[in-house]
Amino acid sequence: MTSLIVPLDDLERDALTELVNIGVSRAAVSLRKMAGEQVLLSVPAVEVVTRRGATTLIRERESGALIAVRQDFAGVFSGRALLIFPESNSMALVRSVTAGSLSAEDAAELEDEALAETGNVVLNSCLATMANMLQKPLTMSLPEVVRGDGSALFDLTLSNSEDAVVLFLYINFAINDREIRGYIAMLMDLPSIEALRGLIAEFIARVIGDAM
Amino acid sequence: MADAAPLPPTNGDMSGAVGAWNWDIASRLLVADARFASLYGLDPAAAAAGLPASAFFEPVLEQDRLRLRIAVAGALRGAEVFARDYRVLLDGEVRWVSARGRTYFDETDTPTRFAGRLTDVTEQKRLEERLRIAQTAGGVGSFEYLSGYGTADVSDEFCRLLGLHTAKSLPVRTINSVVHPDDPPIIQGRDGSGALGTAFHEFRIHRADTGEERWLASRGEYRPADRGGVSFIGVIYDITASKRSEAALRLLTETLEERVEARTQERDRIWNLSGDLLNIIEPDGTQRAVNPAWKRVLGHDEAELVGRSMECLIHADDLPLARTRLEALARGEPVAAFDTRLRAKDGSHRWINWTGMSDGETIYGIGRDVTQRKLLEEQLRHSQKMEAVGQLTGGLAHDFNNMLTGVMGGIDMARMLLAQGRLEDVDRLLEASMQSGQRAAALTHRLLAFSRRQALDNQPLDVGTLIGSMQDLLRRTLGEQVELHIDTPFELWTTLADESQLESAILNLAINARDAMPDGGRLTIAARNASLSEADLAGSDQAQPGEFVEILVTDTGLGMPPEVLAKAFDPFYTTKPVGQGTGLGLSMIYGFVQQSRGHVAIESQEGRGTKIRLYLPRHDGGSEGEATPEMPTAITGSGEIVLVVEDDPAVLRLMLDALRELGYRTIETASGKEAVPILQSRRHLDLLISDVGLPGLNGRQIAEIARQIRPDMPVLLMTAYTRDAGDEAGFLAPGIEVMQKPFSIDQLGRRVTRILRSPHGNSSAGVG
Repeated sequence: MTSLIVPLDDLERDALTELVNIGVSRAAVSLRKMAGEQVLLSVPAVEVVTRRGATTLIRERESGALIAVRQDFAGVFSGRALLIFPESNSMALVRSVTAGSLSAEDAAELEDEALAETGNVVLNSCLATMANMLQKPLTMSLPEVVRGDGSALFDLTLSNSEDAVVLFLYINFAINDREIRGYIAMLMDLPSIEALRGLIAEFIARVIGDAM
Repeated sequence: MADAAPLPPTNGDMSGAVGAWNWDIASRLLVADARFASLYGLDPAAAAAGLPASAFFEPVLEQDRLRLRIAVAGALRGAEVFARDYRVLLDGEVRWVSARGRTYFDETDTPTRFAGRLTDVTEQKRLEERLRIAQTAGGVGSFEYLSGYGTADVSDEFCRLLGLHTAKSLPVRTINSVVHPDDPPIIQGRDGSGALGTAFHEFRIHRADTGEERWLASRGEYRPADRGGVSFIGVIYDITASKRSEAALRLLTETLEERVEARTQERDRIWNLSGDLLNIIEPDGTQRAVNPAWKRVLGHDEAELVGRSMECLIHADDLPLARTRLEALARGEPVAAFDTRLRAKDGSHRWINWTGMSDGETIYGIGRDVTQRKLLEEQLRHSQKMEAVGQLTGGLAHDFNNMLTGVMGGIDMARMLLAQGRLEDVDRLLEASMQSGQRAAALTHRLLAFSRRQALDNQPLDVGTLIGSMQDLLRRTLGEQVELHIDTPFELWTTLADESQLESAILNLAINARDAMPDGGRLTIAARNASLSEADLAGSDQAQPGEFVEILVTDTGLGMPPEVLAKAFDPFYTTKPVGQGTGLGLSMIYGFVQQSRGHVAIESQEGRGTKIRLYLPRHDGGSEGEATPEMPTAITGSGEIVLVVEDDPAVLRLMLDALRELGYRTIETASGKEAVPILQSRRHLDLLISDVGLPGLNGRQIAEIARQIRPDMPVLLMTAYTRDAGDEAGFLAPGIEVMQKPFSIDQLGRRVTRILRSPHGNSSAGVG
């Protein structure tokens, strides 16, 4: 069984990437406001993989412990979103986002909270952007911080694992000239993927139709 | 964020040129600098003034346009970071450009403009493409690692080789985790403390995706990094195929060694188990190696043989043959199998049949013990001989019985007539008996001639005269149907031979010729002088090269087929029905000629007649026929005393009667034991006559004793045969004479008379 599946073509992946890019850019604006600092977020690439493939990808790319912010969403498409960092990067992120206003101890205490908030901003922006495009409501659960390796993060999720597909996105945080890498994983079942595909098609149609 | 900075004007060279653009979202107006305009093929002035935003897509290659529009759509809708590489078509030329831009927002977070820089990256793309193709086609993956970091930059092919998802960078731990635990990791020297310079190593991996084991090699270079630390840049590539062929080759080599080993063992086994003698010999005969069969067959240990010449084991009689063969082998000539006797440890000899082969400086010998075979052959020969003897005895018995019938019948009749007083017919009957007896004597004479144990009366002889004298006899024998030609030149050399034997031989050949010409023909008997070389005499065991008198007997008869010809001289071989011949004819001639130191040759073809050549050695002394002493006319004694030693009572009786009849006095003894005391006594003795074959002391020994005691007393020995007639001269000491049995009373009388009247024959006064 191949770990990579291709339910989206190149153009669809490009469009999805842009949709998420628009979302994370919104998040960056929010984070800038929170931190009062230069924050740039970008999503250079997206891959659509099985859950096992996602586990392999994250294991190959991240050999250390991971920390993730998790939120479930429901609406026109449903699933679970994860913002994943290497644990070693999380403190740097927290410090950047809190802009040095916290002491080291406070930061350590507040790490989970700060992370949860950052994750909430990023994930919400992404999902909301997509929902807005579709002009359909999307409800989201409260953010939750989880730790563990790749398989633990993905196994904790949906029970209907058979159909689960993971949109695996790379996300670069550029905060005050610091580069922090992370991942956005969106676990969705196939009906949700189909709904998402509809959204993407609409976006593409609009772009093509746009005179510009 | 600063706006795009003003840029220097284009210099016409697009490569690496950087242009700037600013896209006002609300007005949909694109403003670009001269560089951008030149990269996009726009009028610089119009671009500077502002163009419809759609100008951003116009020169873009069709295949890339839609994706670019999607990316730009993202940017226009709020995606902050823009990064795209795409192709533009300019004056028919495709060029790669790299666009890096940002979206700018107003206070309400609404996107207002989209600006950025455009770089011509055609060269870079071309290089990248080349590198990519090189890596993909060559199966070479590249990596770059800086000491101290947790990740390494890798190429797609690098990831594919390891079975990892393609990525631009991978954690070192991920990379090294695919390596076999026993092999060195791919990325080494993470602390930067390793040696600088090139590095190469081979390792096994288990592919991350399939788990398959592959062999890879890593080749790279450690060098100081610009920012401190050590960079390790290198490539990896798959060497599984070569490793496998290497392994297969190694396996092949190993099994080859095993196979060679096995073959060597097999040969060793043959060497060790062979029942035949195997040896390896230097050209000079020195043995380099011998197999264990030498111990088993001959009892010699290997140590006793190796380093020593083979010759010391070979029977002296076989040594010349063995040397000849060894020399031929040393010259590399093929040598047929030959037999030699080898001395065994216990001193006995074994017959070994040798096959030899030379290979350069080495001779390989295989010797088979054929002693048993030789023994059987000997036994076969013996039994054949016995069979032949049986055949002969049958023939002889037949002939003798006929002759004895003549002798006994004649005597019986004479006795009857004497009893009846009819004396007038007695003499005729006795004459007939005598003739039968003489025929029997002639037969035994021929037998002895065949056995070469006859006492030949060799005398200087003129062959031409002899043949001439035989003409009448021959013509009578041959009959009228056979035409006889005699061809003997006048100047024929004298030869030395027994006249009667030669006569008999010629007669025999004539009779054979006659029998071979049942319908008549022509018989030629010729003689001439001849010189024979060693080559001519091949196969002869008595003749020496030199001058001979050749006698040719040629007929025009049936001839002989080759198989008969080959056996013509074999004793007892006859083509005549049993009882009609003893088969002694030709073999007797052969025996006589050999004994005379001559030579016989026979030529014959079926239907083309037979030619037989007899060669008798030339005699240098001239004809001495006249030198033979005259036979004494008076054969009577005058009371001389003769001591007779004879163990056969009948012969003794006859001897005594005859001697007394001739006027001699006799003393009779039956053995040397009785004779010696008489010789030692003082009795007067004039002559000793002794049989040679006696029990106890033989005649010769008695003669020697007599010569010692009474040196002047003559001795006459009687013999039925001589053990070696060739040595007759050595046998006869002065004063000792030999007389061949059988003999007539008349012959005995003449001989005794001659001895006693010769100068040596003075009477002896006995011991004293």
